[in-house]
Amino acid sequence: MIVATAVAIATSARAKTQSSYSPPRLSDGTPDFRGIWQARVPAYLNLEGHPAEAGVRASPSIVIDPADGWIPYLPDALKQRAKNYESRATTDPAINCFQAGVPRAIFLPTPFQIFQSAGRLAIVYTDNHSYRIVLASLIPHDDGIDFFMGDSRGHWEADTLVIDVTDLGDQTWLDAAGNYHSDQLHVVERYTLLGPNTMKYEATMTDPKVYARPWTVRLLLYRARRSRARIIEDECIDGPDGVWHHVSPIDPKAVLHHDYPAELAQQGNHP
Amino acid sequence: MGTLREATIGFMALTVVLLSPRAATAQTAEKPGESKASDLPRLADGHPDLQGLWHNESGYQAALKNLRGGGGLAVALGDFHSAGVPLPFPYWSITKQIQQYREVHDPYHDPEAHCHVPGVPRETEQPSSLFPFQIIQDERYVVILYEYTHDVRIIPEDGSSHPKHYWAWDGDSRGHWEGDTLVVDVANFNGRTWLDMEANFVDENEHVVERYTMTGANTIAYSATVEDPTVFTKPWTMELELKRNPAKDQIVYYDCHEGERDVEHYPKSEGNTANPHE
Repeated sequence: MIVATAVAIATSARAKTQSSYSPPRLSDGTPDFRGIWQARVPAYLNLEGHPAEAGVRASPSIVIDPADGWIPYLPDALKQRAKNYESRATTDPAINCFQAGVPRAIFLPTPFQIFQSAGRLAIVYTDNHSYRIVLASLIPHDDGIDFFMGDSRGHWEADTLVIDVTDLGDQTWLDAAGNYHSDQLHVVERYTLLGPNTMKYEATMTDPKVYARPWTVRLLLYRARRSRARIIEDECIDGPDGVWHHVSPIDPKAVLHHDYPAELAQQGNHP
Repeated sequence: MGTLREATIGFMALTVVLLSPRAATAQTAEKPGESKASDLPRLADGHPDLQGLWHNESGYQAALKNLRGGGGLAVALGDFHSAGVPLPFPYWSITKQIQQYREVHDPYHDPEAHCHVPGVPRETEQPSSLFPFQIIQDERYVVILYEYTHDVRIIPEDGSSHPKHYWAWDGDSRGHWEGDTLVVDVANFNGRTWLDMEANFVDENEHVVERYTMTGANTIAYSATVEDPTVFTKPWTMELELKRNPAKDQIVYYDCHEGERDVEHYPKSEGNTANPHE
């Protein structure tokens, strides 16, 4: 429940993560990350650099390490990624309305909201009403149980929020292009405020079954500044075509696939 | 007589033990379960600090009992209820609409069986102790993170009003404080949710006023007044006691993805052929 304020801060960590911006703080002295945030890059489509294609904007890679911008897949894993890409229209877990996982949830084209009070922090995503409760690093991970959104433990390195994420399972992808991980994925996220409305996000992925070495993405997150901005409900239903759809907010007069009284009436059971 | 007297004294002693230590040692007489306002944990803004992990202690049956005893709301609906117990909900009448729901009174048709969020107040009714929820609170928001189907309710406390052209499974929640009570006004429902597993229902005109009142450091008195002018003849209220989970507890993320594959596990009632797996 507690994101412990790190007492001992390694000098090297401070030099590496501290920005010149001095953020507003909560009463316990921790930087105030509260608010609604969203990425503006098309990394959700493909986090590696990619040319434009139908429905996909061209984009540079958000991979900053390795410097070439490519995920350092092991040879067999690279073949699996290619298969995923070919079949992505039917095999992307997001099609089944699975929760997005980490770090994919962070750069979806929908906003998320950070809630924070002294000693507590939670992140609520628009997509699939997913949420993560960030517990203190001193509480051990729930090893042995996998969760779509993993198991998050946070601590502070200077003004950077560092979240260690494990137990992510192998049921999620990293983007819509088939980039993937195994159940060995370990993610270390770093959130740093750069200004009142801008945040730097970095995530380092380690997964010895899929990657030859750890690799890191970096992107900027922007605050939703409209006072009326808010996270709206996002609920999935299975459509008549057998495909799941995000439907809320739904007009109550719209016809769902399962209009139960109508179904029964069609079958002659209606009085 | 002596036995009865002893029994009465024994009962009184038990009552004292059940009170919180703080209440038991108080000099002035207090109602059981009530604690002084000054005893409650508070945030810097002065409001009671509702944060932490909570669960419904009462159970749904207890809630129904509370509702039945709630001042003449009971309206008999005969065999609409599977157990033959008259329902306390003040439905307009056994209308065509209710007839329809009788026909589909089958667990298969429960929106929860299709992994949908339960709506309000059903989310708070989740079976006793099974699914807790986490409250995080500051001076601008109360957010409730439910373990059950990772449902989230974000409750702004900024005096803003409900939006237009918005319909949601959980509706739209806006909070304000009346003394030490958090009052949450919930509207903008999509009318797709049920109130329980017995097919008690609402439509898109549902309007709920929830009240969260801390009665001690580890207890919240919860009530929900539900009105729906196209379904019920008058508003009705249910009451639950929420209790704080032990400090070691945490949310164990729950997900629901069986979808159509899970409903085959539900009992099949006569005449239901809507299950595609039959």
